[in-house]
Amino acid sequence: MKRKSVSTILGVWLLTAAILCPEIKAQGNKPEPPMKLKVGDVAPDFKLQYFDGSDEKEVSLSQYRGKSNVVLAFYIFAFTGG
Amino acid sequence: MKAFQQNLKKLEAADTQVLGVSMDSPFANKAFADQIGVTFPLLSDWGGDVTRQYGIYVDKYKAPRRVNFLIGKDGKILEEQIDRDAIDPKKIVDACERKKLSR
Repeated sequence: MKRKSVSTILGVWLLTAAILCPEIKAQGNKPEPPMKLKVGDVAPDFKLQYFDGSDEKEVSLSQYRGKSNVVLAFYIFAFTGG
Repeated sequence: MKAFQQNLKKLEAADTQVLGVSMDSPFANKAFADQIGVTFPLLSDWGGDVTRQYGIYVDKYKAPRRVNFLIGKDGKILEEQIDRDAIDPKKIVDACERKKLSR
């Protein structure tokens, strides 16, 4: 009797795992959402601050227009790699 | 950010300003810049307005995706590197150097 209930639980568990596994796998393979801004689009202007050690400085994208290229490197959090 | 710092001389020689952007506070970003030896500005998009405007806000993490944009002098996007591809900025550095040569 006891042995039977153990094998029933194991059976149910295996069935659940078999159903869930492909879903979990599919989540991992989910393609990243497409980019809203594409190559050739005009980059939206902005004004943002940074702290240079003594003052907060303001930087806008438009201040570089006609003068230099700009690399905008978005990163996820400070103190993480990359 | 370190990878851009390592390529900063090349990028500057190709008329390119590097700006890091995250949703951290200006003071956290300054501490981060000092810790990893970054000399270009790390801008603070506190609240995430610019991150949303650029379409790369991830609700789940309350943070931007990792994306590098190369923007030309005319304000148009020349190159994009997204997520894992954005860790190594070689594509952008090469594009800047090509532009410099073609001038």
